[in-house]
Amino acid sequence: MSRRIVITGLGAVTPAGIGAAALASAVREGRSAIGPITRFDASNHPSRIAGEVREFDPADGIRKDQARYVRKMAKVMAVDIQLAVAASNLALLDCGLPLGDAKADEPVLPTIDHTRMGMIFGTSFIPTELDDLAGPIQASHVDGHFTLKGWGARGIPQMFPLWLLKYLPNMHACHTGILWDAQGPSNSFTTSDAGGLLALDEASRIIRRGAADWMLAGGAESRVSPVLVLRYCLVHRLSTANGNPAAACRPFDLDRTGQVAAEGAVAILVEAADVAEKRGARVYGEVLGTGAGTTTAGMNACDADGRAVATAVRRAVAAAAVQPGDLGAVVAHGTAFAPQDASEAAGLRAALGPAAGAVPVTAIKGVTGNMGAGTGLAELVAALLVLREGRVPPILNCERPDPAAGLALVAGHPAALKSDLVLVTSNAIGGQAAAAVVRLAK
Amino acid sequence: MNRRVVITGMGSVTPLGLTVEETWQNLLAGKSGIRTNAIFDAETFPTPYAAQVPDFDVGRYVRRAADFEKAGRNVRFAMAAARMAVEDAGLAGRAFDPVRTGIYLGSGEGILDFFTLCESIAHGTGPDGKVSAAKFAEMGFARYDAMRELEQEPNMPANHLAAEYGIAGPTYSCLTACAASTQAVGEAMDLIRTGAADTVLAGGTHSMIHPLGVTGFNLLTAISTEYKDEPWRASRPFDRNRAGFVLGEGSTLMILEDLEHAQARGARIWAELTGYGSTADAYRMTDIHPEGRGPAASMRMALADAGVRPEDIHYISAHGTGTQENDRVETMAVKLVFGPHAGRVPMSSVKSSLGHLIAAAGATELMTCVLAIRDQVVPPTLNLETPDPECDLDYVPNTARKARVEVCLSNSFGFGGQNDSLVVRRFVP
Repeated sequence: MSRRIVITGLGAVTPAGIGAAALASAVREGRSAIGPITRFDASNHPSRIAGEVREFDPADGIRKDQARYVRKMAKVMAVDIQLAVAASNLALLDCGLPLGDAKADEPVLPTIDHTRMGMIFGTSFIPTELDDLAGPIQASHVDGHFTLKGWGARGIPQMFPLWLLKYLPNMHACHTGILWDAQGPSNSFTTSDAGGLLALDEASRIIRRGAADWMLAGGAESRVSPVLVLRYCLVHRLSTANGNPAAACRPFDLDRTGQVAAEGAVAILVEAADVAEKRGARVYGEVLGTGAGTTTAGMNACDADGRAVATAVRRAVAAAAVQPGDLGAVVAHGTAFAPQDASEAAGLRAALGPAAGAVPVTAIKGVTGNMGAGTGLAELVAALLVLREGRVPPILNCERPDPAAGLALVAGHPAALKSDLVLVTSNAIGGQAAAAVVRLAK
Repeated sequence: MNRRVVITGMGSVTPLGLTVEETWQNLLAGKSGIRTNAIFDAETFPTPYAAQVPDFDVGRYVRRAADFEKAGRNVRFAMAAARMAVEDAGLAGRAFDPVRTGIYLGSGEGILDFFTLCESIAHGTGPDGKVSAAKFAEMGFARYDAMRELEQEPNMPANHLAAEYGIAGPTYSCLTACAASTQAVGEAMDLIRTGAADTVLAGGTHSMIHPLGVTGFNLLTAISTEYKDEPWRASRPFDRNRAGFVLGEGSTLMILEDLEHAQARGARIWAELTGYGSTADAYRMTDIHPEGRGPAASMRMALADAGVRPEDIHYISAHGTGTQENDRVETMAVKLVFGPHAGRVPMSSVKSSLGHLIAAAGATELMTCVLAIRDQVVPPTLNLETPDPECDLDYVPNTARKARVEVCLSNSFGFGGQNDSLVVRRFVP
């Protein structure tokens, strides 16, 4: 008999603020967190708006010994990793696992069998910060030109020794695992926007097979980087509606203008239901089923028939042993990039069948922008904290819902939540799709 | 009851060969794939050599070569390995259920356009040494190629494979450093066991033989800078004079299949995967736990999962990177798990010949276990000349050895603390 999986801790650091509650209230109130890019001078980038996380401290709220570690390591953590550590700390402080007694300098960790706790993050290949290379590159010039010979002889010695570790995509889990002594399975996905929900998918499977009792599932990415904004401008995914940032990201709207780059991290603690029950844990919801699929359309394409999303949704719904008509709402990926929205809508229509026109569909990227790997679990947090109140918030900036979507898009006003079962979906252009069906706690 | 998982196809490109068989024969013959770096000019780098995959035409392995003009080495390797794995499994041209088929890769980055990056940064660097992102972008937008940029992202090999073969089921790309493709195969096995897929194309692909990759490892002093005149001697796992690993590259992909699914189509079965263990050190960013806590736990977990005892294992494919710390701690962890039996199990490191394929290392090493079972021979650890008193197990020094091999353990321990172990055995119905 398969183990049931519940969610017992939430942590989020998003453009909407620090904490899952800050994300929830921005989604509830339809408050956009998108503004002009301040992280770097974007005046030569066609897209100059983003969802930025402002003023967060990855050492906030944790014990002194942990904070000391984080402060010491922060210089070798790219923003993505700092965001992930911060969100993870919040989730693990939130989950109510009993903490041991503080003794002098000894770490105060949850009093659990630490080999039974693991972590999986959706991450990405993090581009280097430009300043890290500036001096070494200058030193590499020969006759006014950058040369590899110069780089090898004079550039490399000027780099700081731990440079590589600042950007490795498995360092989110590495640092968080050290901070919380998580000795169970540790994985790091580089599956772009699908990363967070795929982390939940694998975390659930690991608990079901009995290899862990607690898994932290996370997703983190910062796309507010001069390299990434450039890259996604080059492939024409990003909005250039720079004049009105709050209205720029318009999921499923006829006047959509593309994605808005953002950054953020969300982590949730998933736990075997029997274990959570025994310790009397507060439960946010139950993970009934997850599913994954893939587009076959090519590395930079969205399939017109939405088969990747359809596959993921069909699998999640089947794993949850529910019918599409039982769903109370959908929190869609909804990036506001036209081909991606169209593909997602087609996938939802295909998988939900006749229920597609009836189940209310919302999306949160009008509020947050696209946090990449951080986005899927943000949608899940919105479901757990906002939809549980019985109302499905409208899609911010969806003023003229695209009729071609063929979905019950929630626009303008909240819709009533039809049941406590919520479907959450994510998909990466050219790649992976993931979906989860959760039952919201009463 | 879990479903049984078998390997029905293998494909591989490594520094020692463009087929599974070529790599294997060269390994057994004690050849090294390490030579002067011919991928880029590394003459002045602390490490001017690497184990490089010979040139090949990706067009032989894909439907439309034009789709791969801007792809990185990682994608090209994966396309070649996948085609050979699919053909080896007898799946070429056969109809399959796309949504019951998945992909699980340990997958590294493509090749970033280092010159454009550096020239754009130089263009943007002010007198204070800080880079103006606006000036960076000014040159960047003129120089960067959109598709080449996108091809860097580590999920691109999986995306290309899905498109090439029409695979629409669950797909994952993980990048847990040196453990990635052992983890990929282990988790892929779980996808099949639990019924999420019937067939998974699983393994790894990676090349870090690019300027920033070599730079990063040189800075960490993780790769050897010795033996510049005789680079084939530089990778020397378990030798007292070991001085770090040598970067390799390549891809090994396998067709993993539900046993009944494989039998129903009359597939040839290479071997059965029976055990998987996965743990984290949770110790330090740059150091392995001094007692090998995590590696020992992952080995124990894999043995328990396979329902075998240490004395049932006939061969261990070591992580064996050739760094001082790894080889000492790995030896200690094996002793911890295997007890008195530790000295009786041959344990070799093919990284001595192939270099370290990073995200592709684990799957490649698993492949050598499968072949060891087929041929009843274990590959050697090259360059093991001076014994290290702290590394006192049977590492099969320098020469391949005939041995009874029915059950193998393959270990991978990644930078950052991920430890993964697999048990593979001869298939017995």
